[in-house]
Amino acid sequence: MSIEVLERLKKAVLEYDEEEAAKCAREVIEKQVDPVEAMNAMTVAIRQVGDGFGRGEFFLPDLVGAADAMSAATPILEEAIRKSGASRKSLGTVVIGTVYGDIHTIGKTMVATLLSAEGFQVVDLGINVTAEEFVAGIKKNNADILAMSALLTTTAPEQRKVINNLKEEGIRDKIKVIVGGGAITQEFADSIGADGYDPTAPGSVKLARKLIGI
Amino acid sequence: MALRGFVRKFKPLEILTEEELEAIHKGTLEVLWTTGVRIEHDRALKLLEKNGCKVDYENKRVKIPPDLVEECLRRAPSSFHAQARDEKYDLMVGGDTLYLAVAPGQNTVDIDTWEPRVPTRKENYDAVTVSDSLSTVHFFSPYTPYFGFEGVPACMAMLESLAARIRNSTKFQCVGFSQNSEIFAIKMAQAVGIEILGTCAWAPPLAVYSDAVESAFRFAEAGLPIRIVTGQVMGGTAPATIAGGVITNNAEVIAGLVLVQLIKPGTRVLVKDFSAAMNMNSGSPGFGGVEIALHNAVSSQIFRRYGVPLDHTTAYPNSKAADYQSSYEKCFRVMTAGMSGANTLLFHGSVHGELTHHPVQAVLDDDMAGMVGRFMEGVEVNHETMATDLIRAVGPVPGHFLSKPHTRKWWRHEQFVPESADRLTYPVWIDSGKKNCLDYARERTENILKTHKVTPLTSSQESNVELVLEEAREYYKKKELMTAEEISTYNKSMKSPNYPYE
Repeated sequence: MSIEVLERLKKAVLEYDEEEAAKCAREVIEKQVDPVEAMNAMTVAIRQVGDGFGRGEFFLPDLVGAADAMSAATPILEEAIRKSGASRKSLGTVVIGTVYGDIHTIGKTMVATLLSAEGFQVVDLGINVTAEEFVAGIKKNNADILAMSALLTTTAPEQRKVINNLKEEGIRDKIKVIVGGGAITQEFADSIGADGYDPTAPGSVKLARKLIGI
Repeated sequence: MALRGFVRKFKPLEILTEEELEAIHKGTLEVLWTTGVRIEHDRALKLLEKNGCKVDYENKRVKIPPDLVEECLRRAPSSFHAQARDEKYDLMVGGDTLYLAVAPGQNTVDIDTWEPRVPTRKENYDAVTVSDSLSTVHFFSPYTPYFGFEGVPACMAMLESLAARIRNSTKFQCVGFSQNSEIFAIKMAQAVGIEILGTCAWAPPLAVYSDAVESAFRFAEAGLPIRIVTGQVMGGTAPATIAGGVITNNAEVIAGLVLVQLIKPGTRVLVKDFSAAMNMNSGSPGFGGVEIALHNAVSSQIFRRYGVPLDHTTAYPNSKAADYQSSYEKCFRVMTAGMSGANTLLFHGSVHGELTHHPVQAVLDDDMAGMVGRFMEGVEVNHETMATDLIRAVGPVPGHFLSKPHTRKWWRHEQFVPESADRLTYPVWIDSGKKNCLDYARERTENILKTHKVTPLTSSQESNVELVLEEAREYYKKKELMTAEEISTYNKSMKSPNYPYE
């Protein structure tokens, strides 16, 4: 029975069915199935989509659909995990956003989705995020990684400003900073003192893993 | 007096039936009135509310009633004049005329390895010179030829770019906006005595941020024309369907047009359909896609009905090099612009998306543009061109037409002779070292740089341009948008004896 609901949960993620995923999550709680197992089942499913995306067999609407289905079930399961006192392994917490003055969302959302699929806890601050909002987000979530996006050459310097703010706040050494977006190059990333840069979304996931040593 | 451009002599392509067109129009009005748009600018919100819009200040949401939309569409001029540095390059935007412009690239590209890199100051100025020389480049768009160049901090890129274009071209100029750069762009234009076209760029879906609205206010209040741009990616920031994409695109640019017509009625507006579909592998805009051409053609039909000039999606190719793929991607777009009634298209010089530009590509594009311009002129049918008298005089074989004055008079009018295409016979081609169009375009580019003389600014215009640049540098220093290191690099880059040209 417990296996059946986990299989249905996996299937819901693979079929991008948010309603079914949430329903399965509630069933997991009712039937006293281990919620950590349920989270793991969903991670297996979303990895399948993520890997297929990497091979060019799945496309972005599939990836985002699977992530949304997973997001519909996650809060229900996480609450149960918290109540039970158990903890779920996360690779680390990433705070992500597109810098102030820049309202491009898609590249940043792709990276956020793939990082979630990989097993990171992702806090997406959205677009047009000021340096102050980044710093507050990092402190609040005790983040391990800051990921910043900028598509425009005119907004790229904002990434430097955020890094400078981290230094002023004395938290630069406590966090790894990765940058990306159309306007960013390795040279630019080095010049502003970022810890890493990758031009692709799947590449930034590998970069994040590398930077926190896993 | 205005530059002639390319004039279409036949009926435009019509993709939609009248009923479908009406349905799209109604759909647009419905979105504007029921969903509304988000405008992050309080002065704009107040102005819209005063004119009958429903405004939710907390969420910055504005719902625009259909009668106000119709009224503002009527207020916008159906065609307008815009003044260049040399009056022979003034534009008359609208009607059946298509003007082509330089398309931008963030960087230059090595045309042997096709690897991008930041252009030097000289390369930027030279690329302007090349496009100034090409007769099918009718004007320059913002950020052209490059988004910036070596030594220039990001906050000064747009203004240094405009200064380069004003110095090295007498053609009409457009500008974007970033960190209030439009304040100085307007000053620079006024100091030189020209008009420039500004930009108000929307953020799909259905939103616009304060800096874009501020740019609209500044241009409209300065009495200058403005281009309302949105940049939807179907499947991402717009519905995946072309009909749905056209509706949100319409809603965004029309909301922008309404605002501009309320700021200053009769303001000259060029609307841009800057749509693309998402590449579902990468998330980036699929710039070479045929769906863009369909979307643009439908927009042409709609804006012809509205009587508002339209700019199509910039003809960016997906290919990384000037090759077969880039040629068909570009050709499809410029042909669609010509056939469907676009009034402007940014076309020349972009190599890969908006990431790279090269003057040799602009020279190649000059041929493609010329072919489309020729096609648009159509077929002249009259007693002389029908040539029945001549046909009677020549008769069947052994008669021929090569020696006839009619041929000498007409062939150049009827044919378009490309400058870079390989049109050699096979043996001569072998003897030439198997040169292709890219080889010829390189040679032509080198030749242009040796021979093309740009009319320089007068000394007072030149000192005015430099004064405005200096004022902008001080402004951005005070705003701390340049680091000490950037300022030092920038200062060094201006030490050349040939400043500002290299």
